Amino acid sequence: KNFLEKAPLGSLDESTLATKAGVDGLLIGAYHLVSGFGGAGGGWQTAASNWVYGGVASDDAYKGSDPGDQPDIVPIETYTSNASNGYFNQKWQAVYDAVQRCNSVLRVMAKASDISDADKKRIAAEARFLRAHFHFEAKKMWNKVPYIDESITYAAGNYNVPNDKDIWPNIEADFQYAIDNLPATQTAVGRANKWAAMAYLAKVYMFEKQYAKALPLLNNVIANGTTASGKKYALVNFSDNFNAETKNSAEAVFSVQQSVNDNSNGNNGGWGDVLNFPYNGGPGGCCGFYQPSQSLVNSYKVDPITGLPLLDTWNSTDVKNDQGLKSTDPFTPETGPLDPRLDWTVGRRGLPYLDWGNHPGNDWIRDQNNGGPYAPKKNVYYKRQEGSLTDKSFWTNGVTANNYTIIRFADVLLWAAECEVEIGSLVNAMNYVNQVRSRAANPNGWVKNSSGSPAANYMVGLYLVFPDQAYARKAVRFERKLELAMEGHRHFDLVRYGTAATELNAYMAKEKQYRTYFNGKSFTAGVSEYFPIPQSQIDLSKGTLKQNPGY
Amino acid sequence: QKSLSGKVTNKANGQPIAGATVQLKGTTTVAVTNAEGVFSIPTKGTSGTLVVSVIGFEPVEQSISGKITFNFALSETISQLNEVLVTGYSVQRKKDITGSVSVVNVRDLKAVPAGSGEQLLQGRASGVNVITSGQPGSGSNIRIRGITSFGNVDPLYIIDGVQGSIRDLNANDIESIQVLKDAGAASIYGVRGSNGVIIVTTKRGKSGKATVTYDAYVGTQRPASGNPFHLLNTQEMATATWAALKNSGQTLTHPQYGSGATPIIPDYILAGGTAGIVGSSPATDPSLYNIDFSKPIYQIVQANKVGTDWFHEIFKPAMIQSHTVSASGGNEKNTYLFSLGYLNQQGTLMNTYLKRYSARVNTTFNIKNNIRVGENLFIYARENPQIGNLSEGNEISMSYREQPIIPVYDIKGGFAGTAAKGLGNAQNPVAMRVRAADNKGYSWDIQGNAYAEVDFLRHLTARTSFGGTLDNFYYYYYGYRSYENAENNGSNSFSENAGYNRSWTWTNTVTYSNVFAEKHNVKALAGIEAVESYGRGVGGGALGFFTDNPNFRTLSNGSSGFTNYSNVYQNSLYSLFGRVDYAYNDKYLLSGTIRRDGSSRFGADKRYGIFPAFSLGWRISRESFLRDVSWISDLKLRGSWGKLGNQLNVNPANAFSLYGGGPGSSYYDINGTSTSSVQGFIATRIGNPKTGWEEDVLTNFGLDAALFKNKLDISFEYYKKSINGLLFTDQAPATVGGATLPVVNIGNIENKGFDFSATYHGTASKDLKFDIGLIVTTYKSNITDIPGQYFEAGGSRIGNFVRNAVGHPIGAFYGYDVVGLFSGADDVSKSATQKFAAPGRFKYRDVNGDGKITADDRTFFGDPNPKFTGGLNLNVSYKDFDLSMFMYGSFGNDVINYVRYWTDFYPSFQGVKSKDMLYGSWTPSNTGAKTPIIENESNFSNNGVVNSYYKEDGSYLRCKSLILGYTIPSTTLKKWGIEKFRIYLQAANLFTITKYTGLDPELSGSNAAFGIDYGNYPNNQKNYNVGVSVTF
Repeated sequence: KNFLEKAPLGSLDESTLATKAGVDGLLIGAYHLVSGFGGAGGGWQTAASNWVYGGVASDDAYKGSDPGDQPDIVPIETYTSNASNGYFNQKWQAVYDAVQRCNSVLRVMAKASDISDADKKRIAAEARFLRAHFHFEAKKMWNKVPYIDESITYAAGNYNVPNDKDIWPNIEADFQYAIDNLPATQTAVGRANKWAAMAYLAKVYMFEKQYAKALPLLNNVIANGTTASGKKYALVNFSDNFNAETKNSAEAVFSVQQSVNDNSNGNNGGWGDVLNFPYNGGPGGCCGFYQPSQSLVNSYKVDPITGLPLLDTWNSTDVKNDQGLKSTDPFTPETGPLDPRLDWTVGRRGLPYLDWGNHPGNDWIRDQNNGGPYAPKKNVYYKRQEGSLTDKSFWTNGVTANNYTIIRFADVLLWAAECEVEIGSLVNAMNYVNQVRSRAANPNGWVKNSSGSPAANYMVGLYLVFPDQAYARKAVRFERKLELAMEGHRHFDLVRYGTAATELNAYMAKEKQYRTYFNGKSFTAGVSEYFPIPQSQIDLSKGTLKQNPGY
Repeated sequence: QKSLSGKVTNKANGQPIAGATVQLKGTTTVAVTNAEGVFSIPTKGTSGTLVVSVIGFEPVEQSISGKITFNFALSETISQLNEVLVTGYSVQRKKDITGSVSVVNVRDLKAVPAGSGEQLLQGRASGVNVITSGQPGSGSNIRIRGITSFGNVDPLYIIDGVQGSIRDLNANDIESIQVLKDAGAASIYGVRGSNGVIIVTTKRGKSGKATVTYDAYVGTQRPASGNPFHLLNTQEMATATWAALKNSGQTLTHPQYGSGATPIIPDYILAGGTAGIVGSSPATDPSLYNIDFSKPIYQIVQANKVGTDWFHEIFKPAMIQSHTVSASGGNEKNTYLFSLGYLNQQGTLMNTYLKRYSARVNTTFNIKNNIRVGENLFIYARENPQIGNLSEGNEISMSYREQPIIPVYDIKGGFAGTAAKGLGNAQNPVAMRVRAADNKGYSWDIQGNAYAEVDFLRHLTARTSFGGTLDNFYYYYYGYRSYENAENNGSNSFSENAGYNRSWTWTNTVTYSNVFAEKHNVKALAGIEAVESYGRGVGGGALGFFTDNPNFRTLSNGSSGFTNYSNVYQNSLYSLFGRVDYAYNDKYLLSGTIRRDGSSRFGADKRYGIFPAFSLGWRISRESFLRDVSWISDLKLRGSWGKLGNQLNVNPANAFSLYGGGPGSSYYDINGTSTSSVQGFIATRIGNPKTGWEEDVLTNFGLDAALFKNKLDISFEYYKKSINGLLFTDQAPATVGGATLPVVNIGNIENKGFDFSATYHGTASKDLKFDIGLIVTTYKSNITDIPGQYFEAGGSRIGNFVRNAVGHPIGAFYGYDVVGLFSGADDVSKSATQKFAAPGRFKYRDVNGDGKITADDRTFFGDPNPKFTGGLNLNVSYKDFDLSMFMYGSFGNDVINYVRYWTDFYPSFQGVKSKDMLYGSWTPSNTGAKTPIIENESNFSNNGVVNSYYKEDGSYLRCKSLILGYTIPSTTLKKWGIEKFRIYLQAANLFTITKYTGLDPELSGSNAAFGIDYGNYPNNQKNYNVGVSVTF
């Protein structure tokens, strides 16, 4: 009898974990998946930055790279996806794996006896904050998604949850619980705090167009909010948001904490964005994806007199580029006035690429014909950080400790501006926008040549007046585009505004002259706003899950 | 008590036969002949019968009738019917067997030069399918009677009574191999028997004078010649590039070929950062060259204007040699066998090899007349670094991905590669192989057992055997920092891994054997067995070594990126079993077995399983109505039914809900340090204590016949194997979370098929004799139920090629069915709406006829399971010459040539492309083409999804071995003290007949997805050997 009693080796059982330390560990396990990587699903398919779904599936960027590398992104970029596309299934799996990690915390904590009530509340609040975050990821992707709480388990057999209800109320409830029970400061900078929860709940209301509910929360966050380590929220030097050395600044409301050389085989180092580096040289060395679009670059042109963006005519002429030129051919970059944020967002020929020297153009581009002349930049590390803040174990050097910031304070200010446009004061809206623009206008934060002079003809002016609501709305939305470009928000913002079909169809109509694969493609209003529910999940649910309209 | 004595000789030549068993019929009194063929056996009376038997000869009986000396002249066995076979825990005469047992002819088996034991079985036993790659030392897919599970379907190997592995057995040490296929034969192995059981007995010494034998061969293996992937040369690639850009409306410009109406082949593909230099330039000044990492890399690489033949840069002729020396002998009391083996198989792929050093010691001791003890011991050491076969990243795949314009070396002997822009992201396969030279893989194994047998109470024998395996493995890899590729290793790295597995089996049996009234033959067996397995593994890695000097490589010498891991498992099995065989007058045969297994892999409630089986045989030829039919020597009908089990696909922890995790899956840098993470936990496994045994119900009908005075042996069998409560990982939507779901008993598979074997022994004249053997194996696997109705497998860059679905065979290929190519705009507009439809692109079949091509139009378009496989063996001897030929074939199986994804579509990465693409693709004037238009865009209607374009017929017929041997007449040799000397010439894999356009249609894989060519180490390399076999 005893001969056949073989305990499993090398693992823990629930009774061992049902202690404060064990439950804390489970919470860390849930935080792990904020990066999107290291659980179910893949890497780039599940990146926290949503560079595919938020970026490539918008006017921010092209898939880039070689036409045949990651071909599943092509239909996502051209709004021709079907439900069997493996990207969607991976993202779905990653999100719900993460949700159940949060639920594990709650389930095991219920069996622990050595945790104080205060700690229980704090732990539950963090777990529910994360659970809401992951559901939000699903909600913005697919709209109709199931909400999975801690009562859903394999053992209970109730895991086939339909996607027939709007889960905004569930997400709101989790964030509200987090607001009510989280401290303002935490022992670790990576933990969610009360203010992060409040900002996130405001974000939820923005998606619901509930401006009246969002605005007071945003006002409170702007007036009183601090980071988990107690820093008062503020705008910092723009480029500090995209640098591992200056991460978790006063601007970081909630971030993925990325680490390298930590025995994780690179898994904790932003594997989701690892493809998004120049090719054949420079940082990362691979794989030339997520190339900014010409249209995005054009957005950074400013009026030479006012220094304001060209809200209507921004895309009528192109910023000069080196398409079709070899790196050895002579090239002079654009000399017209540009918003300086361009050169922290986009790598372009002849401009300093962080501390890697000037971007050489074609030599770092995998296939200009397919992906255009530009390179991404916000996720890129500095040369001086190679090996210390990057992990060199792989075919890529793009595993970095550079956090992706899920919500940064500029985001909060611009939501507040949006709310003011819709239900408040245009003056307040303009002030928020100008607050963001003033930071951009500070020459200390501009990209510099080796001589120390500004690398291009930079210029940022402040708005003097928002003459009417329509203008204000346009200006605020344009500011979000400029400020948050290449951060994976654009597709979801356009859908939220309700302008996705108009803007993206105009975008493709313009871009198809450069990117021939846009020929004959269109964004279908009422369908393309949301992605198809993965077919394999529908099948596994035995039909409990229903497909989104139009797929 | 007195004794009878006598001599046993070979009727054919009068030579004494050593090691023959002389038995007083119906008793356990036995004696064994010595080297002179002489025996002495005690007896109490003057009546009774002596039976003499020895493997290879027909047994002979003589009545004692008062005599005290006897002469037995034995005829060599022609019919296999009297062969004594080792089956489950006992021996049986072949003619008494009612279950399904394939006997492997060990002499034929050794005719194929192979590094692993499993490979030898290919085509040698009906009902057994073997698929192997050409990589030295690689494992094989062995399937006995089809695929019964999506997980492990390896048969149970019982070597001298102990569970083990035959991969590294020395073929020269093998005495016999039997394959137990149906429940009647295999149920005695209960829960381990469902994938079939392969019983291997190793050689023992025979009493008589000591003999020493030496068997050896040495030869050369030759890789495929020609242009095996049909690839373009340098100029053709430039032409193809321009065609792709033109057809996609893109600018005619390329980093290497310039910007003009026609592409220009440059003189240098790389100089520093500059690509595509025509003539020379200041950048090509050799003094600028540097590949030392302490300074910026500056490579200068000339274009290979003719084109590099990458396949033959890494595949070279390679040597194979094998040597075995064995000494054996003994007397009536004790026997011994000692053998030493050495095998060195160099792979045709550079720096792949298998070296094995082995030793075997088998001894037996007859302590008293009724007590025997003995042991079998096999130890070996092997060196066998492996490459990851069937992978897009291995060197074989790189040989069809690296462009021909890239030379192997740059101007100063550094490696050249895709660092030169515009040439894709493949890696230099020569560099990969050269750098892999220091990678090592070792193992040291011990297998064996010790046993004791006691005869008591006249009819009973008790036996105890304790044995097991202990294997240790150790391997390490060193990764060099590279500079020549588009995507380089940023750091050198070292990983080191080791571990051990140990397993022991303790078996105790009692057998009873008696004959009542001359006609009722009864044998019974009861046994008890315990098996326990345990293993641990440990390993780690580090990065950033100060120097690449091999002497510096220890984990602690790394400078960063330290990782480590360890793992452990254990499981056990405890069983009771019994068997009864009854034969009435050698005419009606009845056999029953039952086994009760208890396994630690299942929860307490489901721990025990019972596996019964029954079989019946009817030797019709013993009936009076067939007695006079002279052309039927023997005819037997048999049938069996029984249950078997399988527990291989259950993790030992399946019953438990567990938590764990690791740095890469559950740790998090919650403190924002950037370089460390805090330990976290996650649910890793959801337990299911209700999971129980998988039950296989097998029904088998067989017909065995020996015809024309035993010249023709035929065996035909039909079987049905239903797997009920298939052990299958539960399927649930992702909302259940990411923990591993338990294996549960859901899912059914049904296999049906027939096995056929026939052997004809012919004698054309006194000097000319021949044997022809044919073996045919068929199976049909059908999935009758799995949760979720299907699951996908066989992943690729463009999705999964395989859907395992209810109502379809295992491993069926699934995707869009290509009707043809759109012939023009008119065709596009008239056809069903399809995304990215355009002239020259794939036109998919509108399976559901709704006028749109959607995911619902995917369909099953291929089946990797062969309709049948077969082996044809021919042996001819003429005087002292012998000739043998062995053909093996697989027929009616589809394969996926995924290599074509890389070579037939321009945008599938910028690697080298195929002649099919350049010369056989669609153009407005070649609308009947098979390959789509050349273009630089990847989408749903060209290379973006899985479709039937990749399917090819994988049938093949291969001449596995052709041997011509000559045995020097013994008269000549006697004066040298040599008994026998045979020398032979061999050609292995002399030819393969196939329509498959890839390297080799013999493609392994997992059991859920196989027959997909992702870059396979081919198993079809011609091999020419010369061998000797000498007996002293």
